[in-house]
Amino acid sequence: MPPARTVRRAVTDENAEAIGTQRLTRAKAATLTDDVIAGDPPKKALTTKRSATNVTTGPLARKRTALGDVSNVAKKDPVEKDDLKKDVLSRATSLSKSAKPSGIQKQPARLNSTRAPLGQKSSNAAPSDLKRSGSGIGGPVNAKRVKSASKSEDTEASENVPPPKNGSSGKMKTEEKVKPASVEVDEGVDLESLEDLAKDLDTEDMDDPLMVAEYVHEIFDYMKQLEISTMPNPDYMDDQAELEWKMRGILVDWLLEVHTRFRLLPETLFLAVNIIDRFLSCKVVQLERLQLVGVTAMFIASKYEEVLSPHVQNFVHVADDGFPESEILSAERFVLTSLDYDLSYPNPMNFLRRISKADNYDIQTRTLGKYLLEIGCLDHRFLKHPPSLVAASAMYLARLVMNRGEWDATLVKYAGYTEEEIQPVFKLMVDYLAAPVAHDAFFKKYASKKFLKASIVLRQWAKKWAPEYLNGAVPQPSSGRTPS
Amino acid sequence: MDKRHPSSFQQLEKLGEGTYATVFKGRNGSTGQFVALKEIHLDSEEGTPSTAIREISLMKELKHENIVSLYDVIHTENKLMLVFEYMDKDLKKYMDSYQAPGGGPRGALEANTIKSFMWQLLRGIAFCHENRVLHRDLKPQNLLINTQGQLKLADFGLARAFGIPVNTFSNEVVTLWYRAPDVLLGSRTYNTSIDIWSAGCIMAEMFTGRPLFPGTTNEDQLQKIFRLMGTPSERSWPGISSFPEYKTTWPVYATQELRAILPQMDGLGLQLLGQMLQMRPEMRCSAQQALNHPWFAELNQRSQQQAAAQGQFAPVQGMVAGQQRAY
Ligand SMILES: Nc1ncnc2c1ncn2[C@@H]1O[C@H](COP(=O)(O)OP(=O)(O)OP(=O)(O)O)[C@@H](O)[C@H]1O
Ligand SMILES: [Mg+2]
Repeated sequence: MPPARTVRRAVTDENAEAIGTQRLTRAKAATLTDDVIAGDPPKKALTTKRSATNVTTGPLARKRTALGDVSNVAKKDPVEKDDLKKDVLSRATSLSKSAKPSGIQKQPARLNSTRAPLGQKSSNAAPSDLKRSGSGIGGPVNAKRVKSASKSEDTEASENVPPPKNGSSGKMKTEEKVKPASVEVDEGVDLESLEDLAKDLDTEDMDDPLMVAEYVHEIFDYMKQLEISTMPNPDYMDDQAELEWKMRGILVDWLLEVHTRFRLLPETLFLAVNIIDRFLSCKVVQLERLQLVGVTAMFIASKYEEVLSPHVQNFVHVADDGFPESEILSAERFVLTSLDYDLSYPNPMNFLRRISKADNYDIQTRTLGKYLLEIGCLDHRFLKHPPSLVAASAMYLARLVMNRGEWDATLVKYAGYTEEEIQPVFKLMVDYLAAPVAHDAFFKKYASKKFLKASIVLRQWAKKWAPEYLNGAVPQPSSGRTPS
Repeated sequence: MDKRHPSSFQQLEKLGEGTYATVFKGRNGSTGQFVALKEIHLDSEEGTPSTAIREISLMKELKHENIVSLYDVIHTENKLMLVFEYMDKDLKKYMDSYQAPGGGPRGALEANTIKSFMWQLLRGIAFCHENRVLHRDLKPQNLLINTQGQLKLADFGLARAFGIPVNTFSNEVVTLWYRAPDVLLGSRTYNTSIDIWSAGCIMAEMFTGRPLFPGTTNEDQLQKIFRLMGTPSERSWPGISSFPEYKTTWPVYATQELRAILPQMDGLGLQLLGQMLQMRPEMRCSAQQALNHPWFAELNQRSQQQAAAQGQFAPVQGMVAGQQRAY
């Protein structure tokens, strides 16, 4: 047999962020939240004003099987968030020191050493390791991860950088070329008159290979198809005897920490959450297995998305040794089979970046947009909306907060949605922002300077304006102004 | 039929062996249909290989007449078995055994066959790219052909989906001889053009029966390319000096005419090849552009007529009558 394809190396991740910032103590959790975990918001939440007083009805009202212990039918007082956490996550831990990634799985290198395909043509004899170039990641990988990455591996921070133009130059074109209306007609946008006004920004990408301008329309059309075929059942919780939505929230919030800790790509988180939701749409899961599902989803998503994915042992550690490696591996197989190996979920980041293009790649707006987009991961109410619509709403709201002007024809074209179409999801977002903080790790992550304190800024904005947008008769955003 | 069990297939002879899989010919017990069974051994420590996860997920998406079909996946305790549409040979084996009736070097195919194969190859590639997939391992061994003269892309073990803008990926992709210069130079921000370079190499190889750039190491590979295409400089390739593998010590070669090493090719074909074998990735034509090249005029016309005759958009393209004997 040829040499094993996976090579593992120890990684000392000197760039890992301080652990302290990730850990949630009870005390901190308490200051961040009150008794209201987003819970089960009423389905028609949008028409009603959602204040701190009426939300508390959520979790208690439901009659469900007990959490964990079946005898404990009385359910837990929702105030005890940490207790619920304990039910979802093994020992209610946040990440501990032991959770640092200690190995990575090398991904695609294939040593074609065993092939000697050339028969008699001895002059063409294949060298014994054709594919080992000695460059790139073949070299010493230790601790090099962040440095070596030019764009994607640098995960989050790089998201704030506009896509490099002209190959690697990283410069951004600022000139606004006003071009004649494009010929193509975007389906789903019923504004043919507006179409004439929309600018075609793709032609300027013709000289930037990374924008794949020659296929951009086909690709986005295809992604629009995929986002529908990979949608979970938004009501799957109805069929889950032991689970509730807020447990999903806790799980995803925790996975977000894992994701940050392992320095994974933004794509990986979104895919992992989609895997969880689609899996839970077709399989009933016990509460005590929920964390295993989450960890496994992240493991699979890493293998699919990452250039270097963390070793399975890291996922065991991060879950506080709640289950052995072998369980993750067999869960992996079960999840993959259940999903019929379909990991084609189109990443919402693609849609966000596409819209950002029509927003001049404004970094602040996009950072806010990215936070808002991730709300779509944490809050189950977004499950019934396709990622492109969530991305459009995220950018719409971010632009509103930043006073970036109206949602014009170009934005409609690149987002694929008009203001009216965006309204319902936009309101969901405003509602989430105005409600008490439900996902601590998520909130904290985006409270950092690196993310321009997006979670804090948006929360403050929402406190002030939510009533107006959620109840106000006049949806006024077309002015692009924060109402005064 | 119980497709979900390995025993529902009779295992016949071995078709090929790769780094992480062995491929057997198989027969479906109940239908008698031939299939190819790709068996992937499961690492007890890391579970399902990422290559297999991607290969399966992507092949389930990519349904096209120039891409080999994945019928089924059977996941057992210690192995993963992918059931593929059976093809008669890979292009490498075909070339190795081919001797043109009119003489010429062993392995060199006839012009009409090459044109048909290239057309099908490019259609397969274009379909991948339109569906945001990079193949990243195009080479004759991974192109399968059958007695009807069809050619299909196989082995999506290194393939992956990309976003826009394209992410940074691994630099260790594509078998050395078919690896694009930008990748050899250490680029990790390559895109669809990486597959076009490979296609160009394959096109030349079909004409001569020999690999165009049979390098032995990364450096040797680059030099073999430079010897034909000319050593690049900041002037011919702005920004080249910032690539990780850039060297100031490269011998300076002048650009040669493709015609000089490929005298058997016609002018239009050479022109198309030149557009695919551009050193700078952004200068390479796309698969769709290549398909629109006049070299394919006749094939395109015929496929349009076929489509019109069948009243459908996507033609089922077989080979034209004169090329049936290609195989
Ligand atoms: N569907 C098929 N029909 C006929 N032969 C096939 C088929 N699939 C694969 N083969 C044969 O098996 C060989 C190996 O298959 P494949 O390339 O899929 O495996 P691999 O392990 O990924 O290879 P490698 O890692 O060396 O690139 C092919 O080159 C071909 O000769
Ligand atoms: Mg192969």
